[in-house]
Amino acid sequence: MTTQPVSLSRDLAEKQVMRAELSDVDMAVWRSASGVVSAWENRCPHRGMRLSHGFVRGESLACAYHGWHYNCEGACHYIPAHPELEPPKTIKANLYNVTEASGIIWVNAVGTVSPVTLPSNTQAVRSVSVHCSLEIAAQAFKDYCSLSPITANTRTEVVSESPYVLALKAPLPANSPTPSMQDKSNPVSVFIALQRVNQTTTVAHITASEHASETDCIALSRWANKVRTHAEVSVGSTE
Amino acid sequence: MNAALEHALQDWYPIAMLGELAPGERKQSRVLGIDVTVLANDSADETDSTPPITVRAEGAPVHVQQAFDHWWVCLGNAPKPLFSIEEAGEADRRFVPCGVVRVACSPLRAVENFLDIAHFPFVHTGVLGAEPHTEVYKYDVKVDETRDEVIATNIKFYQPQAAKSAEGGIQTEYIYRVPAPMAAVLYKTCPLKPEAMDVIALFVQPLDEQTCDVWPWMALYDDTSTQAELIQFQQLIFLQDRSILENQLPKKLPIDPGHEIPTKADYTSVAYRRWLKKRGAYYGALEAQP
Repeated sequence: MTTQPVSLSRDLAEKQVMRAELSDVDMAVWRSASGVVSAWENRCPHRGMRLSHGFVRGESLACAYHGWHYNCEGACHYIPAHPELEPPKTIKANLYNVTEASGIIWVNAVGTVSPVTLPSNTQAVRSVSVHCSLEIAAQAFKDYCSLSPITANTRTEVVSESPYVLALKAPLPANSPTPSMQDKSNPVSVFIALQRVNQTTTVAHITASEHASETDCIALSRWANKVRTHAEVSVGSTE
Repeated sequence: MNAALEHALQDWYPIAMLGELAPGERKQSRVLGIDVTVLANDSADETDSTPPITVRAEGAPVHVQQAFDHWWVCLGNAPKPLFSIEEAGEADRRFVPCGVVRVACSPLRAVENFLDIAHFPFVHTGVLGAEPHTEVYKYDVKVDETRDEVIATNIKFYQPQAAKSAEGGIQTEYIYRVPAPMAAVLYKTCPLKPEAMDVIALFVQPLDEQTCDVWPWMALYDDTSTQAELIQFQQLIFLQDRSILENQLPKKLPIDPGHEIPTKADYTSVAYRRWLKKRGAYYGALEAQP
């Protein structure tokens, strides 16, 4: 399994925990009070409870069921039922490799995490969940680039493509409603990092160049919605 | 037929509350993955020998009996005796069948959760427990050989609102019994009558290995709360439990050691898993019967 995105960094604040699924692997992704991000198997070793239902206290994630506390290394260091007990070292959450780069949280469930290299000066646009396979979702984003991505008479170019990331150079239409997108000398770039949740669900995490305006981001967000509909309709028609 | 199912078929399971169905009314249900039809018979006169209720599995009538304000069924050909709860015969108690809650989990996970006290401060916060009162003190667990039941005694836990009738926090004493693989009975300090114990039971109807209907039942000393208030209190507690039960992975209960890590507070759960294994009660367990 390769490195995949699980969330925009912006969408996981300090002291928050979320559930993420990656190629059918169920994960708890959380950020400590000091900002450290971790991605773990979504299962407390004690009684199998999903850790994504837990709560963050300082630098620990605690399970919702019995409050067992795990530190950022995954080691259980506090069992509330036995406050005086030093928990055995064998009680440990199952950790995955995780890193943050270019405003995106990347995880590899089986090996070293190596995020796709993207410019660091980007801003978060949104994440969109699409009910189709990753391949169909990727194709839909590409189709919409060459057809009518953001405005009716726009052409967008796919500048690079890996299994999990599409990098698009934003449109340059003369009549674009968003002035920064008309700036040929400094075009807006759009990055779409794709997360394979399972065979039938994909999440697209979208970022854009730092200089894209708020209006640009709203236009991109609406465009992503159209792509979703397009992708889901194309799945529906083949079923 | 697999051995786990064959074993489970000889036990009794709740299927309806008494009076739940009007005469002539029927409902569909499921027990151990088998579709059943429950029919409340129309008995016109009192000399009629028609039983009040008929339950059929795949067209054939199955064993039926009434106990603890519920109808119970056994789909096997050699039913074991239904366990007893002596307090069900004490006329000064309030008997409260609490209805049914469907849970997407193994019936064994539902029972095990009922035997657990360490989760009270986190799942039933402010009601059955609260931080910092999280410690589970040493208690005793054994298998009663004559009754073939798991028994846990000498359990003490601080509870902010131990029952509907409780005013303020009390140190509550608990005793647990597991009289059948899919039933558990607890006895706890009665806030209104400290010398007596309230009885709360969990009767689990296994729809299949990963889905169950849970029928809580209580026999209390409480002459102030209304029946609706008592039911609502129990439903609140159980809905909090459901949010846990539907998020445990795997859905089936691992009964061999190694899959999950218990601590001292889990002695009852450890004893329950061993007892299930010893008697061959593998329906709803992760492992196949050896």
